[in-house]
Amino acid sequence: MNIQENIDHLLEHLQADLCEVVDSQTLEALRLRVLGRKGEITTLMRVLGQVPPEERPAIGQLINDAREKAAGWLDTLAMRIAVHERTEALARETIDVTQPMWERRLGNLHPINLALDEILDVFTGMGFEAVEGPEVELDLYNFELLNLPKNHPSRDAQDTFYIEENIVLRTHTSPVQARTMLERKPPIRIVCPGRVYRADEFDATHSPVFHQLEGLMIDEDVTMGDLKGTLDAFAKRLYDPDIATRFRPSFFPFTEPSAEVDLTCVSCRGQGCRVCKGTGWIEVLGAGMVNPKVLELCGIDSQKYSGFAFGMGLDRIALLRYGVQDLRLMFEGDMRFLRQFR
Amino acid sequence: MKVSKKWLEQYAPIPMDLAAYQHEMIMRGTSVEGIEDMASQVQNVIVGRILSVTPHGDSDHLLICQVDVGKKTLQIVTGATNVSAGDLVPVAVDGAELPGGKQIREGKLRGVVSQGMLCSGPELGVPVDLYPSVGEEGILLFAEDYPLGADVRPILGIDDQVIDFEILANRPDCQCVWGVARETAAAMGAEFRKPHITVDTVPGKIEDFVRIRVEDDTLCPRYVGRVVTNVRIAPSPLWMRAALHAAGVRSINNVVDITNYVMLETGHPMHAFDLSQVRDGAIVVRRARPGETLRTLDGKDRALTPEMLVIADNDRATGVAGVMGGEESEIAEGTRTLLFECAAFDRTSVRVTSRVLGLRTESSSRFEKGVSPATAREAMDRACQLIRLLDAGDVIEGVYDNYPKPIELPWIAASVRRISRRAGVDIPGEEMMRILKALHFDVKLKGDDLHAKAPAFRQDVEMEADLCEEVLRFHGYEHLQPTTLRGQSTGGGKSPRIHARDKIKRVLTAMGYYEAISFSFVSPKIIEKLRLAGDDPRLNQLKLLNPLGEDTGVMRASLAPSMLGMLALNFSRGNDRAALFEVAPVFDTSARKPGELPNENWTLCVGGYGAAMDFYQLRDVLTELLRQFGVACRIVVGGQPYHHPGRSATLMAGDLPIATLGEVHPEVCDAFELPRRPLLAELNVELLFALERAVDKVAPLPRFPAVTRDLALVMDEQTPVGQVVEAIAEAGTSLLERVEVFDVYRGAQVGEGKKSVAFSLVFRHAERTLGDGDIGPVFEGIVRVCEERFGAMMRG
Repeated sequence: MNIQENIDHLLEHLQADLCEVVDSQTLEALRLRVLGRKGEITTLMRVLGQVPPEERPAIGQLINDAREKAAGWLDTLAMRIAVHERTEALARETIDVTQPMWERRLGNLHPINLALDEILDVFTGMGFEAVEGPEVELDLYNFELLNLPKNHPSRDAQDTFYIEENIVLRTHTSPVQARTMLERKPPIRIVCPGRVYRADEFDATHSPVFHQLEGLMIDEDVTMGDLKGTLDAFAKRLYDPDIATRFRPSFFPFTEPSAEVDLTCVSCRGQGCRVCKGTGWIEVLGAGMVNPKVLELCGIDSQKYSGFAFGMGLDRIALLRYGVQDLRLMFEGDMRFLRQFR
Repeated sequence: MKVSKKWLEQYAPIPMDLAAYQHEMIMRGTSVEGIEDMASQVQNVIVGRILSVTPHGDSDHLLICQVDVGKKTLQIVTGATNVSAGDLVPVAVDGAELPGGKQIREGKLRGVVSQGMLCSGPELGVPVDLYPSVGEEGILLFAEDYPLGADVRPILGIDDQVIDFEILANRPDCQCVWGVARETAAAMGAEFRKPHITVDTVPGKIEDFVRIRVEDDTLCPRYVGRVVTNVRIAPSPLWMRAALHAAGVRSINNVVDITNYVMLETGHPMHAFDLSQVRDGAIVVRRARPGETLRTLDGKDRALTPEMLVIADNDRATGVAGVMGGEESEIAEGTRTLLFECAAFDRTSVRVTSRVLGLRTESSSRFEKGVSPATAREAMDRACQLIRLLDAGDVIEGVYDNYPKPIELPWIAASVRRISRRAGVDIPGEEMMRILKALHFDVKLKGDDLHAKAPAFRQDVEMEADLCEEVLRFHGYEHLQPTTLRGQSTGGGKSPRIHARDKIKRVLTAMGYYEAISFSFVSPKIIEKLRLAGDDPRLNQLKLLNPLGEDTGVMRASLAPSMLGMLALNFSRGNDRAALFEVAPVFDTSARKPGELPNENWTLCVGGYGAAMDFYQLRDVLTELLRQFGVACRIVVGGQPYHHPGRSATLMAGDLPIATLGEVHPEVCDAFELPRRPLLAELNVELLFALERAVDKVAPLPRFPAVTRDLALVMDEQTPVGQVVEAIAEAGTSLLERVEVFDVYRGAQVGEGKKSVAFSLVFRHAERTLGDGDIGPVFEGIVRVCEERFGAMMRG
């Protein structure tokens, strides 16, 4: 048998064997048998020494070609087997991704504070500073400096809790405004969030403890149009650009002129529904131009400065926003309720 | 305030449907809460005459009536017993509607065809005082002849609509028909048609009937009295009864009805005295004497004080001025001569008096809101005009009118430009003048100078800002133009405290806890469930003078009871786990003097129960929170009295306790009906804010590798591992970067009462790579310290 035949036979044999290979181990064994140090091709090379010198280059070339061919075949197959084996391995590691295991969740803020956070974002962005004050408050700050002298009938509407004759649970966050006006000089732009108290029975729509956010702006030449502009911007930022405000004349002792401010009903977009009792508007804010008497009582020159103030009930905003039917849920701490927010 | 539309329209036109009117009034500042259409609630009820009444064969209590309703005769079965042939009755025919949405259809009653229903007063929404008949029970019988088949509504005074106004606190002048009519007229651009008031009188001096003396004209700035003789007590006419009915006032008799009618129309409370019952014919308006008492109309004896104003005879008080009259001089069937009183009383005095006596009447609430003395005479004359109109008596010519200091409202100097600036809307001076005149102001306009004087009945207009509101609400709030804020800009943003609190909440929510909000007032007894020592300052609670109830009687001195209550609620509702926190102030009143405010100390309370929650989990939450604020802490054994003594700890920031945490004591669990082993922690937020340290410099990352050595030590079960860790950290010198516990083993291999704790020690040098030679001595030092201090042996 000459070398050429040997080579052909070797390659033929290899081809047949490659067809049988199923894993990388057998393939490696085959590679060793053919290309290894004692493998078939190497053995052929050793035979080359016995070939007449003038034939050596040609035959050497033949053997080299065969080696490359064999190596090519082996590499190709090795690659295919590697892919196959990786796929198999991954399949073996499959887990049941639907199987419930332990639950790991973030907690979250109370819905009233979720609403407050969004509202604070809007106002702090407009240059308002959020400030706070005590919940147990002097009559002076809660009432008198706000143009609500003792025995004034407007105090009736406030249903005040008393600690002593001159100490009350604040009925609004306005005392923070009074304190701020006494401490600072205009321009003043503040919002005051916080807990307030009124002697209301606790039911689905009333609570003796609730939350307010009030705002105050004082500068030269502040107008009712600025108030409208501020609250318009607030409504559009908090909800969306389609939400409008409607000002209606009203009365508060601390503002003059005063307004009730309605927002387009967020639930029906002004079409009229159960939430807005068919009017298309929901009453959300009380507002007005700061009464010059209040400015004077709080040490601000009412000839030089004017200002606006507004206030809103955060509990009601949260109720509306999340469609909560019963206010009492807000104060129970029931996990099934609290876990619904995010 | 409910007002009949018919009554209102006597004085101001409503040239639009009521829905449009409602909107228009709301936008001008007079809120209309609702409109009740009495007329539409009763439909197809007509006058019928009973022709015959025969028994129903199948029933003992039913009767069959043949009823002539004009064009035809109907057969109607009724259960009433007060009807007989010839009676004129209201008949609800087939298709009729009655108040409450009740529909009447032709049908059969016990086999007999019934083509409608005979109605009682209440079935038609007509009380007996509106249409006197047989009482509430039987079928209403018409007293006079009416055409058969006629609509019963005009006959019964229910062909009207009732408009329910909500009057703002600064507008007591609108608490009456004339008041809302004035606003309506201005809103409709029409004239207020005030009635022309004249009184036909008979000659006579009032002094011949009664001697009135006002001793305190500060508390009674005006007192008007007029006398009516030959009083003829009788029912009022239907129009007056209907007007009162619409306002929700019962009709009594002509004289009482007139006082009520005038009050509703003019806003002035009135009182009528039977002069024959006024002793010595003397009326004295004075302060009560010390120790004086009075039996009021409601039959109760009231103790009076000198702050109160009374109506008295020469000897004693007979009524509380502006609050309630006396029993003796009440108008009765036999009254022949009466005195009408129309006075103005000081609002604060009436308010305080009514508070102290616990007496609130229609009269007192009107005086509290404010009744102008200026219009008292007009109201009195209106009453006397009605006396004549109803032919209820003869009015004596003489009038008592004590009004020593007539109210003179000042001219308010204002500027057109400033009013426009305040409003942010350019309103011409002429427009302002037009609006103010329509609201009955006197106005002078000269260039920018606007001078205005409010009408006497307005007590709420004092300054330019008030004029601005008047002008703006009739110019229209809808014309306000939104403008953006100008002027010097301000920094804005949250205050540092709000920021820091947000951070606490961020950490807690990231740790899986949910924010809760609970009431700040609690039962004074609930703190007793916490096993606090007798001298604990938290037992000093801030009490409310007027709490809603015992359960909300004090401001809380600790958040723990609220949190335990919320955990218990979750447990009772079957929630298998809870993880809650609340950040709120607690009220510390222990060092408070009267007149001072309590300290409001913000506190964090964390609570929970259920799977995956134990002491260590909670401890890690708190230590991580402290770490986030840059506050280092040490763990000391033992927490609060409400904690499990062996499973609680205090976190110390230096020498100051900053937080306590642990499992809840079983006794406290029992008291709150809690599940086993709930966890509770409280953290002093004020101290946390005070100690907060920002990251001021980041350490460079290490350039040389670390070397890790494990160390297993066998020690007594009681040895606190935390202290061992501290000792190791100290003995490890600067080379020891970190020490961690990675295993605690108990069992036969280490012996009874022992535990084996495995530590991982990480050594590193900042300047070079460490070798065994560097670490060896340090490691041995650590082992030696642990052996000496804790008797801990290296595990073999």
